[in-house]
Amino acid sequence: MEMVKRPLPAGFQKVSGDDNTEEYFINMGPQHPATHGVLRLVLRLDGETVRECVPHLGYIHRGIEKQAESETYLQYVHLTDRMDYLTSHMNNHSVCMAIEKAVGIGVPDRAEYIRVMVLELNRISSHLMMFGCFGGDLGAQTALLYGFKEREVITDIFDELCGARLTMNYFRPGGVANDIPDTFIARVKKVIVDVERTLEEFDRLITGNVIIQERSRGIGILTREDAIAYGCTGCVLRASGVPYDLRKDDPYSIYDRLDFDVPTKQNGDSFDRYVIHIDEIRQSIRILQQCIEQIPEGPYRSKEKPSYRLPAGSYYAATETAKGIFGTYVVAEKGDKPWRIHSRSPNFANLSPIGKMVKGHMIADVVTVITTLDILIPDIDR
Amino acid sequence: MGLMHKLPPIVDPLPGGKTMIDAVSYIINWARSNSIWPLTYGTSCCAIEMMAAAAPRYDISRFGSEVFRASPRQCDLIILAGTITEKMAGPLKTLYDQMSGPKYVIAMGACTISGGPFYYDNYSVVKGADRILPVDVYIPGCPPRPEALFNGLLMLQEKIRKTESLRNTWHEHEIYTKPATNTWSDAAKAWDALEKIKDQEQAEARAKFKEENPDYQAFKAVRVVAPAFPEVPRKPDRPRGKSNLELWKLIQAKFPGLKLYKKELGDHEVSDTAAVEALGTDYTLDFEVPVDQYVALATFLKQTPDLSLEMLLDLTAVDFTDHFDVVVQLLSVTQGQKVFFRVSLPKKEVSPEEAPTAILASVPTLSGLWPAANWKEREVYDMFGIDFTGHPDMRRLFMEDDFVGYPLRKDFVNPNIIKRPY
Ligand code: SF4
Repeated sequence: MEMVKRPLPAGFQKVSGDDNTEEYFINMGPQHPATHGVLRLVLRLDGETVRECVPHLGYIHRGIEKQAESETYLQYVHLTDRMDYLTSHMNNHSVCMAIEKAVGIGVPDRAEYIRVMVLELNRISSHLMMFGCFGGDLGAQTALLYGFKEREVITDIFDELCGARLTMNYFRPGGVANDIPDTFIARVKKVIVDVERTLEEFDRLITGNVIIQERSRGIGILTREDAIAYGCTGCVLRASGVPYDLRKDDPYSIYDRLDFDVPTKQNGDSFDRYVIHIDEIRQSIRILQQCIEQIPEGPYRSKEKPSYRLPAGSYYAATETAKGIFGTYVVAEKGDKPWRIHSRSPNFANLSPIGKMVKGHMIADVVTVITTLDILIPDIDR
Repeated sequence: MGLMHKLPPIVDPLPGGKTMIDAVSYIINWARSNSIWPLTYGTSCCAIEMMAAAAPRYDISRFGSEVFRASPRQCDLIILAGTITEKMAGPLKTLYDQMSGPKYVIAMGACTISGGPFYYDNYSVVKGADRILPVDVYIPGCPPRPEALFNGLLMLQEKIRKTESLRNTWHEHEIYTKPATNTWSDAAKAWDALEKIKDQEQAEARAKFKEENPDYQAFKAVRVVAPAFPEVPRKPDRPRGKSNLELWKLIQAKFPGLKLYKKELGDHEVSDTAAVEALGTDYTLDFEVPVDQYVALATFLKQTPDLSLEMLLDLTAVDFTDHFDVVVQLLSVTQGQKVFFRVSLPKKEVSPEEAPTAILASVPTLSGLWPAANWKEREVYDMFGIDFTGHPDMRRLFMEDDFVGYPLRKDFVNPNIIKRPY
């Protein structure tokens, strides 16, 4: 019988010449519990082995960059909350820094300390979420529950601080929207204790777990060269042996006054990408402890401008979010609205090597790779 | 449901068209409303709150809905958590059709109610889930807190208990025969009418109050004084790696014709080297390169050990109405320096009717040097209609293949965009 020749799905280049195997295509997503949103992957499989993987994006492309052109700079801040909503403070920070650079606004010391504390809390909460998803996607539902339990404590702090649990919109050019409440420091101290305990629990429950190790060691290896070539940043890059962290290598805010290390791993496999998150939380706790000791009294914001009009030119500011480098590129022409705003999103670059990483692995490993890349689709599609 | 239909009716419809809910259906509805199985569907931010609702702190299982299923065929509730885009609308409709009835829809968050923060000036977001699916309960918020989700869930349970019955074949019939209507405009009309009634009532109440208290004096509003904040001088950045001047000299030695991009300095005529110094450390080196030297320069920047700008951090474009700028940002992860460079592409001459849908410029691809450029260039192609010659896979990245126009261009027109009225 003659085989019906179907056209190849979009994005695939050639068919393999091997006649002994039967290859087929499978569609994963856009609605799939393990793709963290609406990512769609088309996989070419041989049995259960992935031969090729082509991602399709855009299912949550919300046109934020176009919309930004008809909003003022301050209004744009709240749209960045909705890109990578697990690191919304960090996205806000990057926009505020770009405005501060362009208009020349300084930030008082107290505001900087508040910012850094909030950022590190945000980092911890994002990493906790990653643990939860990592465990949950590999079938360890307990981890999901544990991760969320601790995350709620941090969310409560944010709730008290700015009234929102997820989309905070707390940073302003020149400082923050309001001063920290009296309970803030006490609550942070409690979080530090809690999180340290949780990390131990996690280490016992997940890191040493045989099943987790079997399923993540040697899976989805991203070499140092590939990580750089694909523009990966954040934990993904550092797990592949490149110790680049904006907080250390291009210090912004007050990170150069604080004492912390940049954890690095060498193998670049899924297990390393997971473990590095634990080490990062430990460093974040160190930063928090120093901030608690050093935070000065004073104003939480410097003088407001009636409206932010950026002089013509292009401005760029980047922050190291929990996922990698989030950059805001502003092109200003005239008026109080940007001519063009572009966000360099970390998840976009971190996802791009996935085709290379899952090649030759089993279909179940695709899930492991996606969770350890710690991607978030609305940030990719914007 | 099927078997139940075959049972003899216990109570007949009452005169006047009403149905008396009989004991069996009461029990079935009670059971049904307390074990709603939701689908694990979430597109964006609201999904996190949905997950938080399922997590230990809030614990959705108190209301019998903890069994999140990944397959639509096992669910009877879809919580629309997150923005729905035009591209996702099709798959979403498929998901809904695959669910087994009776099925319910909760619209969670502003996005699914009306488009939310993406209502104005947006070309890709569906302005309300009820344009695609019949929504049972709306939960406002951006994102709604888990408590609000529970409130919505309880309302849905109440709705099931009150409205479902054995004889009521539920709205299954309606959905499969009638196309989804635009409930938004109906709701808007009803809302308008309500507002008018409310205004009138208020005016009447005010008049009555005045009549009864003729010498009443309203309180004067006191303006809250905003705290006075000091002006703080901006501290310059302290970037690591080579200084701008060093970089500029190294690059100029090889490519003497390059021009510095110094819009920030205004109209002052300064030499490029002086400008690099004047712009200080805050400024990242940014220069223009002619199209014919574009790839050569990129190769030079990547492969010179002194520069070792081995990571392509970003590649994007800007539409300056008469020309495009393709802006590339490079970073050296080993040494710390970063640069921008840009190539200015004049727009091709085409007739005004064709312009919005035509490819207006082309430039060689960088995807051979950096695999990272592959997707970035596809994004620029998708958003600006700039062609990258030599690119291995030049397709749209975000929009569907049949999308008309290039959204980030300044001349992009889309009749569906709702313009901000102010
Ligand atoms: S309603 Fe708000 S939080 Fe929910 S998906 Fe839309 S933008 Fe995100």
